[in-house]
Amino acid sequence: MATVIAMPKLGMTMKEGSVVEWPLAVGEVVEKGRAVVLIESEKTQVEIEATDSGVLRHIYVEAGEMVPCGSVLGAITASMDEPFDAQAFRLENERLMGPATTAPSAHKHASRETVVASQDAAPRSGAAPVTPAARALARSLGIELDKVSGTGPGGRVTREDIEAFVSRRERLVEVSPGLNLEVLRQGSGVPVLLLPGFGVGVASFAPQIQALTAAGGFATIGLHARGIGASDAPQQDIYEVAAGAEDAAALAATLGEPVHLVGASLGAAVALEMALRYPTRVRSLTLITPFVDATPRLRAVADAWRAVARDASVDTLSRALLPWLFSQGVLGDDKLRERMQRGLSAALAVAPADALDRWAAGIAAWSGSRSADLADLSVATLVIAAGADLLTPRGEALGSAIAGATVCVLDSVGHAAASEAADAVSKALLDHLRAH
Amino acid sequence: MSGQSNQPREPREIPTAFAIAEALRIAMASDPNVILMGEDVAGGGRRPEGTDEMGGIMSVTRGLISEFPNQVLDTPISEMGILGTAVGAAVTGLRPVVELMFMDFIGTCLDPLLNQASKFRYMFGGKARIPLTVRTVTGAGMQAAAQHSQSLYWMTAGIPGLKTVIPSNAADAKGLLLAAIRCDDPVVFCEPKGILFLSTDVPEGDYEVPIGKAKIVRVGSDVSLVGMGATVGMALQAAEELARDGISAEVLDLRSLAPLDEDAILTTLAKTGRLIVVDEATPRCGIASDVAALCVDKGFDFLNGPVRRVTAAMCPVPFTRVLEEAYMPSTARIVEAVRSLI
Repeated sequence: MATVIAMPKLGMTMKEGSVVEWPLAVGEVVEKGRAVVLIESEKTQVEIEATDSGVLRHIYVEAGEMVPCGSVLGAITASMDEPFDAQAFRLENERLMGPATTAPSAHKHASRETVVASQDAAPRSGAAPVTPAARALARSLGIELDKVSGTGPGGRVTREDIEAFVSRRERLVEVSPGLNLEVLRQGSGVPVLLLPGFGVGVASFAPQIQALTAAGGFATIGLHARGIGASDAPQQDIYEVAAGAEDAAALAATLGEPVHLVGASLGAAVALEMALRYPTRVRSLTLITPFVDATPRLRAVADAWRAVARDASVDTLSRALLPWLFSQGVLGDDKLRERMQRGLSAALAVAPADALDRWAAGIAAWSGSRSADLADLSVATLVIAAGADLLTPRGEALGSAIAGATVCVLDSVGHAAASEAADAVSKALLDHLRAH
Repeated sequence: MSGQSNQPREPREIPTAFAIAEALRIAMASDPNVILMGEDVAGGGRRPEGTDEMGGIMSVTRGLISEFPNQVLDTPISEMGILGTAVGAAVTGLRPVVELMFMDFIGTCLDPLLNQASKFRYMFGGKARIPLTVRTVTGAGMQAAAQHSQSLYWMTAGIPGLKTVIPSNAADAKGLLLAAIRCDDPVVFCEPKGILFLSTDVPEGDYEVPIGKAKIVRVGSDVSLVGMGATVGMALQAAEELARDGISAEVLDLRSLAPLDEDAILTTLAKTGRLIVVDEATPRCGIASDVAALCVDKGFDFLNGPVRRVTAAMCPVPFTRVLEEAYMPSTARIVEAVRSLI
């Protein structure tokens, strides 16, 4: 077996060296530990000792030649008779020694590719990042992180997001198996269940909630219907008015006593449906700008509402809706218009476009189905109609169709009566609740 | 610990340099074993006329030679000689305070600190005391160029057996220096250029600021800004600016780099969940990285965002003012870092 004589790497910066002299000729005896070749680096000449005894079998690099560190310079074999393939031996050992000039660059190239690959992989993998504090809080509260959306930089889920999720979750009530709806409560006393109109949240009742709380003796319970606010949004093509009524009735059942039921517009339709289905759960009924037959204009506005909600900001949507929901009196007063628009924006913000599509389908399906049943209504009812209501103009007629109903018509007021004529609506409502 | 009866009295506003001189005066008056050594600390050879006393590179010790003729010594220009002498004096009973003009020069005299002063107490089974204080000017901001502007406190803070403190204001400078001088272990006392000539209220009389205790200098709830030396002022300014946008920043002044007040760092992190550490030194292997590592290691579940380090650039300190300002951390960079977190 042959022993290799190679160009050594004598210093950190040495890349190549030259052969100065071979003191022995091929075939001469080599002694382990004795000099077999003299080489030169930039700084010094060094005698290279044989690492084995034998004969100098082959010289690859003649004196005066310069080669990279690791290059095979010569070979020692036990005797000249031993089989030896000079070419194969060189190839094998050059490969094993790894020529210093090429190996590092190949390695560098490989590691750079690795880095690029791992950088690419990071952003693609999985969901938004979660801060450790958020993760720890979620763990301690038993919250599944994939249900929390992040509002931190880059969509990161922060501790604040978990806290907001918790406070939203605390507002959730399971009205039927697997269906949780958001309930906003204020005050204590006789329960008043508030059902907001199409595409708006409980914020649309803000003046009435304030009035009832200030009056005392009432617990206002605002319900965000399916798909609104933090409520669950079942994947359905249509949210039936009847389903809304079932949800509200289930919530009412948890309260332990009949409720004062208050609905506006679509909320009034749901309230009416609930009062017809579950009269014993209703202590009194208040319908604000209600309808039983959706006019072509109501449907057209709902259709435009859905389209704008999908394509534009909440602010744009509220500007587009303002002329349909408020009277000329509001529109003609800059300050009042601005104030109503801000309030409307807040109420609109909780209704995503999908929910609008589904509830609009619900309105279309329900329209006309209860026109003949108004006479059957057996609960004490207040109907608040608006004189300048473009969307549900037949509120007064609807009121007269309900036996014993109190009808209150607000002259020159638009569809969003609870906002535009906040005080009048609150007063009529409070009178009605106190009477029943 | 002081034998003097002068307790802290009414504060007055004086520059940090004066506060340091005041601490030296109190220390030398209360203990004749306290000596002050360094290049030109007395005035350059104790000339008989005695009127042109230089008082060290920053004139901090000007005038002390007249009051303490036997305790203030000029030395040859040999940092190795100064430190070697001082370590010897410390182990044989004196309480030396030496001035190393700029911390940049520590390379010429590291061995007495690295292998002698910091090791004796350990190697002699706790029987050796090394009451040595090294006062040294650190930091950039005076266009003193690459060899006179570095913040190298991370080097001494990384040596077991050495303490390293850095005040952010005149009052702490006085109290920390008195504590350092009276400490029986070697203490490196950094004098950041950025605060040497800034004035704050300083109590009269004798008081100490404990070594190893950080201090909350502004209370806040949204983000913690951890500073040291001159960067505390930057952090306070940033907090002021952020407050106008409704962001409430808490500011922690480390004051002591070794030992590091880990509890204080973790407490403020637990409170705000977001932490930015502001360090005048270069970013690698430094205090900022240490604090960041601590937050990840022991405060992981408190983290409500990444820990950000606002430091100098990883390059020599530039000489020109424009480049030097770009090199250093700044209020604007702190504000920017906070905005990236919230």
